[in-house]
Amino acid sequence: MAKINPKFTDELKKYGAFDTNACYNCGHCTAVCSLSTEDDSFPREMVRFSVLGLEENLKTSLKPWLCYYCGECSETCPRQAFPGELMMTLRRWLTAKYDWTKLSGLLYKSLPVSITFFLLVIAAVIGFGSYENFDTEKIMHLGHYFEMFSIAGVFAFILLPNIIRMWYFTIVKAGVKVKFVTYFKKIWELIVHMFTQKRALGCDDNQLRWFEHLILVIGYLSLLFTTVVLDWLGTESTFIIWLGYVESAVIFVVTFIFMYERVKKSKELARHAHPSDWFFVIWLFLMGLTAFIVRIFIDVDLIENNLWMYLIHLTVLVQWALIIVPFGKWTHFLYRSFAMYFDALKKVK
Amino acid sequence: MKSKIGVYICHCGGNISDYVDVNKVREAVKDIEGVEISLDTMFACADSSQKQISDDISKKQLDGLVVASCSPKLHYPTFSAVAERGGLNKYNYVHANIREQVSWAHSDDKIGATEKAIKIVKAAIARVKESVSLKPIEVKAQKSIAVLGAGVAGMRAAKELADLGIQVYLIEREHFVGGRISQLDYLCGADETGKELVTHLYEKIHEHPNVTLFTGAEVIKKSGSIGNFKIQVKITPRFIKNECNRDELLKAIEVCPVEVDDDFNFNITKRKAIYRNYDSEYPQKPTIDNKNCTRCGECEKVCSSIDFSQKEEVLDLTVGSILAATGFDPYQPKEGEFGWGIGNVVTLPQFRRIINMCDDKLVYKGKEIKDIAYIYCVGSRQVDGNNKYCSRYCCTATLYTSILTHKKYKDIHSFHFNRGIRTYGKQEVIYDEASRLGDIFLQSYEYDPPEVTKLNGKTNVKIEDILTGGSEIDVDADLVVLVTGMEPRNDCSIGDVLKIPKGRDRFYNEIHMKLRPVETVIDGVTIAGACQGPKNIMESMNSALSAAAKSYSIVNKGELSLEPIIAKVDKETCVWCGKCAEACPFDAISMIKENGKDIAEINPSVCKGCGMCLPVCESNSIDMDGFTDIEIESMISVLAGS
Repeated sequence: MAKINPKFTDELKKYGAFDTNACYNCGHCTAVCSLSTEDDSFPREMVRFSVLGLEENLKTSLKPWLCYYCGECSETCPRQAFPGELMMTLRRWLTAKYDWTKLSGLLYKSLPVSITFFLLVIAAVIGFGSYENFDTEKIMHLGHYFEMFSIAGVFAFILLPNIIRMWYFTIVKAGVKVKFVTYFKKIWELIVHMFTQKRALGCDDNQLRWFEHLILVIGYLSLLFTTVVLDWLGTESTFIIWLGYVESAVIFVVTFIFMYERVKKSKELARHAHPSDWFFVIWLFLMGLTAFIVRIFIDVDLIENNLWMYLIHLTVLVQWALIIVPFGKWTHFLYRSFAMYFDALKKVK
Repeated sequence: MKSKIGVYICHCGGNISDYVDVNKVREAVKDIEGVEISLDTMFACADSSQKQISDDISKKQLDGLVVASCSPKLHYPTFSAVAERGGLNKYNYVHANIREQVSWAHSDDKIGATEKAIKIVKAAIARVKESVSLKPIEVKAQKSIAVLGAGVAGMRAAKELADLGIQVYLIEREHFVGGRISQLDYLCGADETGKELVTHLYEKIHEHPNVTLFTGAEVIKKSGSIGNFKIQVKITPRFIKNECNRDELLKAIEVCPVEVDDDFNFNITKRKAIYRNYDSEYPQKPTIDNKNCTRCGECEKVCSSIDFSQKEEVLDLTVGSILAATGFDPYQPKEGEFGWGIGNVVTLPQFRRIINMCDDKLVYKGKEIKDIAYIYCVGSRQVDGNNKYCSRYCCTATLYTSILTHKKYKDIHSFHFNRGIRTYGKQEVIYDEASRLGDIFLQSYEYDPPEVTKLNGKTNVKIEDILTGGSEIDVDADLVVLVTGMEPRNDCSIGDVLKIPKGRDRFYNEIHMKLRPVETVIDGVTIAGACQGPKNIMESMNSALSAAAKSYSIVNKGELSLEPIIAKVDKETCVWCGKCAEACPFDAISMIKENGKDIAEINPSVCKGCGMCLPVCESNSIDMDGFTDIEIESMISVLAGS
């Protein structure tokens, strides 16, 4: 038996939901959705759970992650209840619920808190620079170390526990019995979806957006590899230098397109940007751009006298690694692919 | 005995002549005594044929007409009109059906069909020979109308009729006008309150010279018929003098020691034995509730306007038509029905009164109300009960009530446990508004209604919500509001007095739901408003104006012409056994004394010519004009072949 909680929609609105109450349960959204199936029918059910405030039902559901937001439901909705945006909101809400530190929720709900965090990072980087007497070589060396440790730390202390929590909610609490061996049998699903997002191709007329997203993901992951493992900013290898240039250029070009779409509001999915959406694309854009410029500065021997450029890049990097990756929109990269994995586990009879 | 009869036999294009040998039929009847002309025609109903028949009638001075063609349902009116155009009384026309009853029914047996057609036409000729010319019955109609019920429908109808120059007697059983609408505050879709609406209408009729308003009045007897109803009106006293002192009366209310349940507030409050329901109520005089007054005399001590010497009166009125707009009662839930009786469960009408009484905080029984569960279709669309109908007004009224609570109070949460929202027509915007205010809708099937239980001091409503895939959903509510539908008045004695028939739903019945929506089978009695079935105010007004127009059309000329096919009593042979009066469904037969003998008399304006009295008459003293024994017997003789 589930108890109605009428106050829940007020909570959800802080994560970006609109007029969910406008829904009169016609089901148009579910009918037009090209990803919704008889077994996994959405978004109407999710709208209904949200209106009634059935938090447990939402928390144990993987459906918000099964939607790749083509926006057709919102366009079709006769009541302008924006079911597509609700699904997006539920993903934010779920991200906050999975996060054991509760910081995600705080950042999603409050723009001033987010900005304060970003400002604190700026102050810390400047403090660190002055502590090291603005010694370029040392700072760049430590910056490289920071990359490695932050990745390991964030993964071990934040992302991994949160994925375990997600598993607990959606598999254990949902009452799904999964054989141990199945976890291995289905691991391929996780990898495929993580690196291809192939489910997004199921959305109507989505090839271009899927492609843009794919090369952004590949560009991002390979730039990560190139900087962290191949030490792009410290290498002498011409091949690696050019590889890094291409990868960082891909990132800032694609994210520029994404930002442009959000400004123009040309697509349904870009119409209702939440601050967290903006942070994600802007910081990704800045990451690509500042890395690109820093490497140019290195190549034309300007960096020695222009450490400020590297400090800007480092600031962006730290903000990204300590705010956006663990607590922001970055996590959708993991949760989406794990959702597909868990969903595959659920479907094994 | 008619001696110049015209007989026309129709081919109906082949519909008849393909199976019936029309020539043979014509040959068989042409030499019957009294038949002047016999012709067959391709289409008797064609304009040219109609012209020929009427010309024949006038040129050859025919005194009887038979057309053998299709069903009388289709063309009886056509050929009786042809007879009249030719100068023949239409009751000297007899219709013979040789299509539905012969050619279509016996397409497998042409010889038999022709024989049957011959018999039917011969029988028609035999009947037309005995037919009698009849004239419509003319009766005088009183140019006055009694309107029963001074609710919004009754007052609106009264105002309209009075404007048309008709003397209107507006008869209200309560001591105040306004009916159910005065119990409502804000009205959906209007910028006025129910009370303002009532005041507005009252002002229109109050000063009108053509309206006489009786309050505390009831029709207890009706006799007579359309155009001339005689009604007896019983008027119960108010016990307040005509010239009264308002301040003293208010003091009298204060000192009255008797407290009873206030039915104006649906028993959620108490009132005194001397009372008025609200400040601006009309007439602006309190009344004394005779049933509960103990005559203790406290009021008389402070008020000089009290007059216990007033007596009940009975008035006799004569009216041409009666318009009944006696309204409805809200459904009264049964003990245990959706938690009725467990404390914080009220009906929608009660809830409206509670809202009316609470200003900035919604409080019931000392507790502030925030979460409200509305349960729809209580007493309507019943699976087990008698009320199969939808009460029409309640979905809209509930949603509007919910909107009112949001506007008036803070932090209200509404939960609508419905069976499908029916805010039809323009009222859909109300649903939209409530929905956008955050109201939550839960829906169940009729056989799986929501359950109301008391759990740990809270009232819990549980439903298997079909909008959530049949999941069991529940909510703890501070107040459960049962959305009760409309029922016919518990005290419907007026319907018995007027003999208005009731439908299966126990509301008064119109003749035809679509084509004659305000007339009843009692000629001259029309119905309007919710006494006929659930209606909202707008629909009540529509029917009130419609009934007013219909009643007006009865009385406005001052005379009426009625169908002459009615029963007649043979005064010589009648010995008054009373069986005919018992059989008559219209109360048209009464006993009179004539020449020292008890005999039956038939009121020609009440008799509908149904014929129920004929077979029960042991002395065979009743005959029916247009269907006399001689006519029918002559037909039987022919058909039986004698």
